[in-house]
Amino acid sequence: MINGNLKATYAADEKIVDNRYKFSFVWGLAVLAALLPIFANDYVILVACQVGIMVVAVVGLNVLTGYTGLMSLGHAAFVAIGAYGVTILHHAASALSIPEGIQPFLTIPGAMALAAVIGLIVGLPSLRVKGVYLAVATLSANFIIIFLIELDALAPWTGGKTGLTTVDPSIFGWVLDTQREVFILIAVMAFSTVLLVQNLFRTRVGRAFIAIRERDYSAEILGISLLRYKLTSFAISAACCGLAGALMAYFYARVLPEQFELLLSLQLVAALIVGGMGRTMGPVFGVLVIVLSPELLKVILSAIAGDSIEAAQFRAPLQEIIFGLLIIGFIMFEPLGMTQISDRVFRALNRWPFARG
Amino acid sequence: MLKVEDIQLSFGGVRALQGVSFEAAHGEITGIIGPNGAGKTSLFNVISGFYKPDTGTVTVEGQDISGLKPDARAALGIARTFQNIALFRGMTVLDNIKLGCHTRLNANVWSALGYFGSAQKEELELRRDLEERVIDFLEIDHVRKAPITALPYGLQKRVELGRALAMKPKILLLDEPVAGMNREETADMARFILDVQEQFGTTILLVEHDMHMVMDICSRVVVLNFGQQIAQGTPQEVAQSKEVIDAYLGQAA
Amino acid sequence: MGQFLQFAINGLMAGAIYALIALGIVAIYKATRVVNFAHGYVIMIGAYLYYTFAVILPSAPWFPDLLFQPDWLVEAKSKAQMFSPEAAWLAWLEKLPRIIFGLICAIIGSSILARLIERFLMRPLLGQSNFAMIMITVGLISVLSGAKSMIWTGDAASVPHLAPNPALRFEVFGSKIFIFGANLVSMGLALVIFAAIVIWLRRSTSGVAMRAASEDQSTAYSMGISVPRVFANAWVLAAATGAIAGAILAARDGVSPALGLFGFSVLAIVLMGGLDSFVGVFISAMAVGILEALAQWQLGGDWVEITPYVAVLIVILIRPHGLLGQKEIERI
Repeated sequence: MINGNLKATYAADEKIVDNRYKFSFVWGLAVLAALLPIFANDYVILVACQVGIMVVAVVGLNVLTGYTGLMSLGHAAFVAIGAYGVTILHHAASALSIPEGIQPFLTIPGAMALAAVIGLIVGLPSLRVKGVYLAVATLSANFIIIFLIELDALAPWTGGKTGLTTVDPSIFGWVLDTQREVFILIAVMAFSTVLLVQNLFRTRVGRAFIAIRERDYSAEILGISLLRYKLTSFAISAACCGLAGALMAYFYARVLPEQFELLLSLQLVAALIVGGMGRTMGPVFGVLVIVLSPELLKVILSAIAGDSIEAAQFRAPLQEIIFGLLIIGFIMFEPLGMTQISDRVFRALNRWPFARG
Repeated sequence: MLKVEDIQLSFGGVRALQGVSFEAAHGEITGIIGPNGAGKTSLFNVISGFYKPDTGTVTVEGQDISGLKPDARAALGIARTFQNIALFRGMTVLDNIKLGCHTRLNANVWSALGYFGSAQKEELELRRDLEERVIDFLEIDHVRKAPITALPYGLQKRVELGRALAMKPKILLLDEPVAGMNREETADMARFILDVQEQFGTTILLVEHDMHMVMDICSRVVVLNFGQQIAQGTPQEVAQSKEVIDAYLGQAA
Repeated sequence: MGQFLQFAINGLMAGAIYALIALGIVAIYKATRVVNFAHGYVIMIGAYLYYTFAVILPSAPWFPDLLFQPDWLVEAKSKAQMFSPEAAWLAWLEKLPRIIFGLICAIIGSSILARLIERFLMRPLLGQSNFAMIMITVGLISVLSGAKSMIWTGDAASVPHLAPNPALRFEVFGSKIFIFGANLVSMGLALVIFAAIVIWLRRSTSGVAMRAASEDQSTAYSMGISVPRVFANAWVLAAATGAIAGAILAARDGVSPALGLFGFSVLAIVLMGGLDSFVGVFISAMAVGILEALAQWQLGGDWVEITPYVAVLIVILIRPHGLLGQKEIERI
């Protein structure tokens, strides 16, 4: 609740960042991201890169699950397609002797388009089924796509189970061969993805998605074609995940099929639930929690148990448990996720010092 | 304007509609009445395209729309409200009403991603149009940013009417717009419906149990009973029809 | 033809186990309208419990070894030829106390786990959206899989079969068929349990209560049906049948975390058959079992792992609610 409405134009009323606390929060994040490559150590950069990549993917999942209401447990497959797609396209581009400096401008959109096309195909069941049927259909698609990547017959392109060595992208001759440089690309992409996707929801396209989530027959009666918008949602969602995959390929030295199995799909869903579905900042908050909590656990465990092998053996399962408990805990106690908490904070700030809560 | 001819609809063995035919005249309010289970809502679902009738056609201004899907019918200017309010509960009043304009807007994915440009221009134009034509008209300006769940029932019904009006419909189907409302709210809603007819010249089809309201505002009435059309005519004619009295009060022995 | 028959029989034996696992998912769905994505992991825990109580614990020095070793058995065993049917029978007889002890403990342990899940994770969400409850089971996947790795750190291990496991060779229509005895008995056991529970749910008052609760929770509640108890029963039923299936699978494939993933293919089978139809699920379990065997025969072993997923995608595209599933009619 805002105390009074002093806006004079519709443009001002349609703004998203509509108070100075949100304004300083958003710009604070941007400045922080800009300063990281200059001041942060390698470890921080590593974690920040993981956060950035995950944010892009979870924003994609948010479009589908959060806004359109279509549950997917198979989005890791689109990340895989992005990662493999961009690497294979780089090799193809080199074979066609396209200069390296402009290759990323072709390969990244290419990988996103590829992911979007596969997304359309995987999205086909969504026209007829909802809810858990769709969740299982996407889960199935994930298993099938990873299986195809590992298949011996396709190994000349995909490298089979041993994966592919990735390419260091070169932007007009600037080769991004350190993680610090790749981070700049990741940060730019993460910020633009969040912004562009947010814009979607200021127009009829995004509203149509939400309408389908809320009540599909009611959306139809308003002239929203379920066929068209469900598939559009799948395509956008898959394209974002494809972009995340491409960034992942640039970030890691190698892409392996097991990186994109069910665990990643679950992580994406978990990040979305923890962050808050159908909210702009949901993916950002959620990814921060999901990526940072294992790191935090690492720090705590080594403080308690030192660097013993037992502690290290203990850590992976414990991480898994904490990860599951995060999903369960948020659903039970804060179903709208971190955004709900941040809303409360912003509301309190906005009222301060006149009222609390 | 809207013509329904010989609609037959059955679910398994249940014959929900048996040969319903009528025509709703341009710019008039046509009431559809009948006891519970008479097939009124089924008829609406046929007109708006959710149910496919076994036989029969629906035509709008001479164009046969029987084969179209609900979203295509909406694009032709058929708007509707639902018996049990079908608003998007997670959204604000404003967003709900904006959704009504979906078919009149042009933003596509690419312009929407960019936003600043044609999409923003369109959105602001839309906002101005809605504020003037719908939100002021229905007197819901005080709740425009409120989420639907926070509104009382009567107001939700009004917002649903607003969402339908945002479509600039040629034909408006209202499914029990005053069900569950008190006398005052009913009077308000009746006034809004008459205003819509008067100001926009919309053809209105009205399903309603409130006989006072139907008799007051409808110029023609169609009566259904167990899927059969048992009478049609002006409210006065229908009120004196023997079949109608039998259907409502039970047959005299 | 002979080969086809061999693979078809293998398929049916695998299919029966699928059906037994699917039973649990369907029972929980029918009672609570929740699709348990973690069912495979519940089964995995059941298998590890069987492993603990039938292998690890009896091998511990401080625990009775639970072997049936009268003199005549020891003597007969030493005389029996290696890999002969007699040897298989005697080996089974010797381990029978362990098997029974392990199975009973696995069933009890799994049931306790299921009750805990139901009481502390599902019941607080009673009346909430299905999405929330399904996501809880998704979170449960991680918790159970992490808990497994924390408690059982060892690698894959083998456990005794529930039934004697002689290799059986016989001829049908002039072609040689080769099957393992334990697989055959497991198939029989799975089919009997499946049939018994389905009939019990159809006939008994508990079954009726379960159906009533699934139709409308609040109405069932107000009719005097204790909805929480129905839910708890469904979960226990699923966990108990899951523990048996887990023990069978663990003996067949070895205890390993892969059992959890196995649950997802069963989920695919359940949706393929129709979430609320025992008959549909039975048909699709058998069909997938045979399809897998055929895939193994014609395409190679790798393809087996995606057969259920391909099958469910095809079925969902043609029949969105599965082979015999009921379409939920939305009132507008």
